[in-house]
Amino acid sequence: MNPDPPRLFLRLAESLIDERMREPIIGDLVEEFIARPSRWRFARQTLSAIARFPVRPRLAGNPGGSLVTGFIGDLGWGVRTLRRAPGFTLLCAATLGLGIGAATAIFSVADPIIIRPLPYPEPDRAFVIWENDVGGQRNNVGFATFADVGATASDFSSFAALGGWTPVLNRDGTAEQLTGLRVSWTYFRTLGVHPALGHDFVKDDDAQGHFGVIMLSHALWRTRFGGDSGVVGRFADINGTQMVIAGVMPADFDDVMSPGAQLWRVLGYDTSLPFACRSCRHLRMIARLAPGATPSAAASQLAAISARLVQDHPHDYPAQGFQLVGLQREASRQVRPALIALLAGVGLLLLIAAANVGGLQLARALRRDEEFAVRTALGAGAGRLTRQLLAEGLVLACIASIVGLAAAKLGIAELLKHLPPSIPRLDAVTLDPRAFAFAALITIVAGLALGLVPAAHARRSALADSLRGGRRIAGASHRLRGALVIGEVAVAVVLLAAAGLLARSLGAVLSVDPGFDPSHVATVAVQVSGPRYNDSATVLAWHDQLLAAVRAIPAVTDAAIVNQIPLGGNRDTWGVQAQDKPLANPELAPYADRYTVTSSFLRVMHINVTLGRDFTDADNAPQGPPVAIVSRSLAHAIWGDENPIGKLVHGGEPDRPWYTVVGVAADVHHEGLDVGETRQLYVPTHRWFFEDTGLNVVARTSGDPAAILGQLRTAALKPDRGAVVQQVATMDDVRSQSTAQRTLALALFGVFASMALLLAGAGLFGALTGAVAERRREFGLRAALGATPGGIALLVLRRGLGVAGAGAAIGIALALGLARVLSAMLFGVGTTDLVTFASVALVMAVGATLVSLIPAWRAVRADPVQALRAD
Amino acid sequence: MLGEFEQLVLLAVMRSGDDAYGIPVHAEIRRRTGRDPSVASVYKTMERLAAKGFLAVRMGPPTPERGGRRKQLYAVTGAGRKELRASLADIRRMAHGLDVGLEPS
Repeated sequence: MNPDPPRLFLRLAESLIDERMREPIIGDLVEEFIARPSRWRFARQTLSAIARFPVRPRLAGNPGGSLVTGFIGDLGWGVRTLRRAPGFTLLCAATLGLGIGAATAIFSVADPIIIRPLPYPEPDRAFVIWENDVGGQRNNVGFATFADVGATASDFSSFAALGGWTPVLNRDGTAEQLTGLRVSWTYFRTLGVHPALGHDFVKDDDAQGHFGVIMLSHALWRTRFGGDSGVVGRFADINGTQMVIAGVMPADFDDVMSPGAQLWRVLGYDTSLPFACRSCRHLRMIARLAPGATPSAAASQLAAISARLVQDHPHDYPAQGFQLVGLQREASRQVRPALIALLAGVGLLLLIAAANVGGLQLARALRRDEEFAVRTALGAGAGRLTRQLLAEGLVLACIASIVGLAAAKLGIAELLKHLPPSIPRLDAVTLDPRAFAFAALITIVAGLALGLVPAAHARRSALADSLRGGRRIAGASHRLRGALVIGEVAVAVVLLAAAGLLARSLGAVLSVDPGFDPSHVATVAVQVSGPRYNDSATVLAWHDQLLAAVRAIPAVTDAAIVNQIPLGGNRDTWGVQAQDKPLANPELAPYADRYTVTSSFLRVMHINVTLGRDFTDADNAPQGPPVAIVSRSLAHAIWGDENPIGKLVHGGEPDRPWYTVVGVAADVHHEGLDVGETRQLYVPTHRWFFEDTGLNVVARTSGDPAAILGQLRTAALKPDRGAVVQQVATMDDVRSQSTAQRTLALALFGVFASMALLLAGAGLFGALTGAVAERRREFGLRAALGATPGGIALLVLRRGLGVAGAGAAIGIALALGLARVLSAMLFGVGTTDLVTFASVALVMAVGATLVSLIPAWRAVRADPVQALRAD
Repeated sequence: MLGEFEQLVLLAVMRSGDDAYGIPVHAEIRRRTGRDPSVASVYKTMERLAAKGFLAVRMGPPTPERGGRRKQLYAVTGAGRKELRASLADIRRMAHGLDVGLEPS
C-alpha cells in the first residue's frame, strides 16, 4: 500500500496553482509520488509549481494580478532572485537572523517576568504590603501587625503572612535540604491557586500547638514521593518532626514569593507567642483586593490603620505608613532594570543588523539598475517594482527568522544556565507561541523595511531612465547608504558605551575592599535538625566537634564558626541598644548584622580590630564574661566620636543581657560589595541567647582553598551524618557569586557591543568600497593629474572618518540620554563617565581608520592609464 | 533561435512519442542529461513553446494513478521540428572546426 502524498501540500497546490495548469501538474506530481514516494520531493515540487503558476485572478484589466494572488507570485519571484545570489542571501540571513535571535531570546526571558501577567487569577489585584521604615525604607511586618491589619482593612478580601523556612526532608535514609516557606493558612487562597491533589490549608491547620501541616510542590511530590496520589494525609519527616501532608500543588504553580519553593508549612502563630510581637519583623504580608475596591482606596485605608497602630504602640514602629506594591512589580523588582536595559540593548542590536542588511540591499540594488530599467521598459510601473522588492525583502526576512529562532533557542538555553535561581518565573522561560509571535512581528517589520530600501532606489532608477540623470540618482542612493552607516555607527557607540559603563561598574565593585581578606579562605554551610538539638548543650557540643573536625584537616591553619558569612546572601540583623544611650522608641535603634562567632573568627577572616582587643578563648568559655565587639560604623551610629570600649550593649528585646564592648572592628560588606558597608555586632557563640543549628565554618588554609573543599564537606558531616551541607565554596567564589548578575549583564552587553561594532565596521567597509569602485576613474584621473598616493588615500580616509565621526557624535549624544536606563545597574561611575566615553570615541576612531585602509589602498591603486582610456 | 532548455524539452517531447506529457518528458531529460529540473519549470517551457506554436496541446483521459486527473499531452508541430532543426544546425555550424566535442575532429 502506497502512502498518500502530503495532504497539506496537496491542498496548497489545489488552491494556489493556477487553474489552467492545476490538473496536469498535480496529476504529474501525484503520479510521480506513487512511483517514488518522497514527501520532501513532493513538497519541493509543489512549492516550485506554485511559484511558477500562481493562481491568477479573472478580473480584467489588472495584469499584475490582484493584490493577494499577485503577491504570491511576487514571493516566488523573490525566492528565485535570492537563490541566484546565495552568498548575499546567506550573509543577510545570518546578520538579520542573529539580530532576530538575540531579540527573541531576551524577549522570552523578559516576557513572563515583566510583561505577561502572573499566572494567578486577577493578578493585578494581588499586592505585597510592607511596613514603612525610617527614610522611606521598607520593612517586614511582625505577626501582631499582620493580625491587626487583617482584622481591620476591609478593602482587602484576603491576607496572608509568610516567612522564610529551610526545611530538611528525611526520607529513605537521606536528608535533603529543601526550599520552603511558612505561610498562614490563607496563603494559597490569597494568591488564588488551589492544590491539584488533597485540600488547601484550613483555619484549624494553622492553630498554634498543632503539629505541622505541609503542602508539597508538584516536582517534589513526583521526585521524592514517587508521584503517589495516596500521600495526602500521610506523614513526612521534616526537620526531625512528623508533619502531615495536606496536598500537592499543580505542576504549573509558580510561587513568585519564593522562586523554586518545594514545600509550604502552616505558620502556626498566635499573638501570645514571644516571636509574634509587632517588632518581631520577620514576616512578609500579601493581600488581595476585595471586589470593587481600588488600590488607592486600599492604600489610604492602610495609612489610617497605620496611624492608629503607631498611636497605640509608639514604641513598636520606627515610622508610620505601609507600602502597597503590586505582586508582579515586587516579584520582578530585582531584575526589572536589567531586563529593561537588555531589551533596549537587543532592540538596538536588531536595528543595527537591519541597517546593515539594508545597506547590503542598497548596494545590490545599485548593481541591479539594468534589471530595473528593463523591467520598467517592459511596462512594470513603480508600484509593481516596489511590490516585488517588498516581497523579496519579506522572503529574506523569513529566511533570517529561521536562523533567528534557532539562535534564540540556543540563546535561551545558555541564558537559563547563568540566570540566578532567585529570579521568579524562570520555569516559564521557553520559546513559546508568544516568542514566535514576537519573532514573526519583527520579521515582518524588518522584511517590509528591507524591501522599501531598494524599492526607493528602484523608483529613482526607473525615473532616471527617462530623465537621463543616472549619476545624480546613484548619488542619492549613496547618500542613503551613508546615512544607514552613520546610524549603524551611532547605535554601535550606544551599545559600546553601555558595555563600557557596565564594565567600569563591575571593575569598581570588584575593587571595593570587602573589609575581610577572602583569599585562602574556604567555607562550608551546614545544618542539623531534629528534636535532639532542642537542648543547648547538644548544639554547643556539635559546634565544638565540627570545629575540631575542620581544624584536623592538614592544610587548615585556623578555623572558626559563624552564624552567617559576609556576601553569602543571609540577612540576620538586630536592633542594637546601648545602656548609656536609652531610646524613647527602641525601634529606632541602629540595626546590625548579628555575627555569633567562635573566638578566632576575626583572625581567620583578617578583619582588623582597630580599637580595643579581639576575642580570646576565655571569652567563649562556657562560663566566660559577656563581651561583644562592634564594627566601626555601629560604634559611630550609637556613640558618635565617644570611645565605645567598656560601654554596654545588647541586641533584640529590652530584657536581653548586656554585653561589654571590648573592641571595635573594621566594617564588612555583608549584603554586597555594591551596597555599602553594613554594621556588625560580634558576640561569642556561648554568649548569645540561642544556639544556631545552621551555621558556617570558615577555614584559613596554607595552600589553595579550592583543594580542601572535598575534605571540608567530609569534615562537616563527621559529627552528625544526618547533617545537610548547603554550600561548600572558597570565599573568593562567594565574593564573585555576589556579583554574578552584574557579570552576566556585562557579558550580554559585551556580546551586543562586539556584534554591533563588527556590523558597523562591515557597513562602513561596504559603503567605502562601493564608493571607491564608483569613483575609480576619478581617482585615476587625479593620479594622472599629479595627486600623490598619500593625498588620494587621505580622501578616502577622510570620508571614512567623517562618516564614523558623524555616527559617533550622534551615538554619544544618544548614549548620554539613554544611559539613564542603565543607572540602576551602575556603581561608582556616572552616566556621563568621561573615561568610558573617551574610550568609546578612541575605539571608534581607531576602528574607522583600520576599516578605511583597504578602500584607501584600492583608491591609490587606481590606474591613471585605464582611467583616461575609458573616457 | 531556441533557448538551450527549450531545445532539450522539444527533443524530450519527440523522444516521448505520441503520449508525451510532463512525467516522461521530465524523465527523458533526467535520464539523458543527469539534470533534475522541477516539474513546473518543464511545464513553463512547454507552455512557452506551445504559445510560439512549436508544440500542440490536447487533454488526455483521466487515469486512476493520478487521482482521476487528466494528462495534458504534447506533440511537436511541423513548425517546432523546423525551428529545432534550424537551431541545432546553427549550433553545428558555429562549432564547426572547433574542438568542443560536437563532431569528431
